[in-house]
Amino acid sequence: MRGTARFDFMHFMPYTQLPQNHKDYHSLWVDFPNKYYDAKEGHALYQRYMAELVLADKVGFDAVVVNEHHNTAYSMMAAPNLIAAAIIPQIQNAKICVWGTPPNLEYPNRLAEEYAMLDVLSQGRLEIAFPLGTGMEYWANPVNPSNARQRYRESIDIILQAWTQDGPTTYYGDFYTYRYLNPWPRPYQKPHPPCYIVGTGSAETVELAAKLGFGYSAVFVTKQRALELNKQVRRSAAEHGHQIKPEQLPLQVITYVAETKEKAEEEAIPHIRFFFEDALRTTPTFLAPPGYLSVAELKKRAALADKLHGGFDFNNVNESFFVAIGTAEQIVEQLSDWGEQMDTNHFNLLAAIGNMPHWKVVKNLSLLGQDVIPRMRGRTPVERRVAAE
Amino acid sequence: MTAIPFPAQFKRETHLVNGVNTIVLSAGSGPPLVFLHGAGIWHGVNFAVPWTQKFRVIVPFHPGFGEAEDAPAMTDIHDYVMHYLDLFDALGLDKFHLVGFSLGGWLAANFAVEHGHRVERLVLVGPAGLRGKERPKGDFFLLPPEQIPSLLVSNFNVIKPFLPANPKDLDFMGDRYREGGTLARLLWDRPYDTKLPRYLHRLTMPTLLLWGEEDKLVPVQNAQLWREHIPKARLETFKGAGHLVLDEKPEAVDAVQRFLS
Repeated sequence: MRGTARFDFMHFMPYTQLPQNHKDYHSLWVDFPNKYYDAKEGHALYQRYMAELVLADKVGFDAVVVNEHHNTAYSMMAAPNLIAAAIIPQIQNAKICVWGTPPNLEYPNRLAEEYAMLDVLSQGRLEIAFPLGTGMEYWANPVNPSNARQRYRESIDIILQAWTQDGPTTYYGDFYTYRYLNPWPRPYQKPHPPCYIVGTGSAETVELAAKLGFGYSAVFVTKQRALELNKQVRRSAAEHGHQIKPEQLPLQVITYVAETKEKAEEEAIPHIRFFFEDALRTTPTFLAPPGYLSVAELKKRAALADKLHGGFDFNNVNESFFVAIGTAEQIVEQLSDWGEQMDTNHFNLLAAIGNMPHWKVVKNLSLLGQDVIPRMRGRTPVERRVAAE
Repeated sequence: MTAIPFPAQFKRETHLVNGVNTIVLSAGSGPPLVFLHGAGIWHGVNFAVPWTQKFRVIVPFHPGFGEAEDAPAMTDIHDYVMHYLDLFDALGLDKFHLVGFSLGGWLAANFAVEHGHRVERLVLVGPAGLRGKERPKGDFFLLPPEQIPSLLVSNFNVIKPFLPANPKDLDFMGDRYREGGTLARLLWDRPYDTKLPRYLHRLTMPTLLLWGEEDKLVPVQNAQLWREHIPKARLETFKGAGHLVLDEKPEAVDAVQRFLS
């Protein structure tokens, strides 16, 4: 593995206090009735989740990651910049990754402003990603899925122009007209915070990352596919004159550490089950609004969905995706292997998966901070401060 | 793209219209009758066969639907009006009867508002385009795709022969997804036209509104919205028929023929 390993802690902030009958609903996204959202529970969850992000910083993670979804119990971060702003004063060292707001769901100048504000507030610790957004977001937001990619592309252009050229400038596009593109404030990092594209491996987004020299992170793709995508991003980026560094290819891994492999599985699997079986539950129509996918891609995904029916199977998930569950030694070994294979040193750990209770998240983060992260960096553990706080 | 089955007497021609390959079916002889289909034409054109005895029936596939090529640059109804100006010129059609169904009715109304001198008589069959007061009716995108075929008709047997045996047939699913994408380009942002009512008074040619009384997609109540703006239009409705009233009721096909004769 090249370079020093980097560890991020990603939180989805799910709303987990679901009604008993939630399985009667075909989806926890888009049309799952919001009468089931209890704001008191929501408040308690926000407090808890933010404390977990702060804890990750304290135990030695390099970054914390938040992202955006709408109309869903899967995530309470409809506006991840708000969460980022709330945690910045509490997080001393870690980077803050907003991975991120789909730029075509927001006015691009406003997103450029908000990200710049976060970068200034955090003294240059912000990293951002430009996701296209899941199909579900297009059922929730007044944005046409059939030209989502073109609007997305134009939005990124505007944001980069706002950050790389002194204003005021103008922009006359297909979707947006700016007579005075001149956002204040501007980013703390020059010319702008590190950028990534997060995607599920469509050719267009891989090519975009390569063209712009951005990092790329494939999410919810199989291990084999993630490997191909990393190679493809590197190859295409080189063609565009960019050399992709290992840290630009974050690898998303579901991770849980315990004293023994058996205990780790026993403690983690019910929550991984909840994540796949419930939190991610939605309909093919919500996943693929009209025009959002090419017909070929739609058919490919429909064929796959047909093969995957039959409910949650941990072995299947374990084989298909990056899942590291076991003792600290096993996880160090596993992550090192994957780092080698994928030529990355950047691990984005889903360490608070599904409806995992607070104590397990605290245990997981503490053990990762004490026994996994230092070993992978070839350093001694950071002092254990968890118990004291 | 799965080929659309169409009756043997129809001949199939390809026309390159402003860079878009368009397929046009035509049959019969007599005064020209142009039929503009809805947001899908997988249920075929069998209903149009009786018209071919008195008319030269012309059924073009809209770009992005059926066998026509995709045209992603066409993003609103007016782009289709312009497309049909080009196509009708290419076909040498000066004046003709215009029959539009559903999305095609919306399109026909727009064409006739702008180019009324070319339209002898106008028939709007369950036309989309006006903002009804009730939802989800009138918003195709609120309907789960697997339920759409059964929502289109009163009698499911009418369209059953046109559906694949396997409801998860990937080709059928892909074709419908492609047409859904075309439709999204046109009317995801607004599944109605807020300006159209302002111009409907220009429909001064004889106009027939035709509706299935059990239309679950564009409810028959919407006929009143049209009649507010085109009070001289005649309205005929048919019991026991859904949105695909022409496929379900030979009497409806006959009513069109009588109106145009």
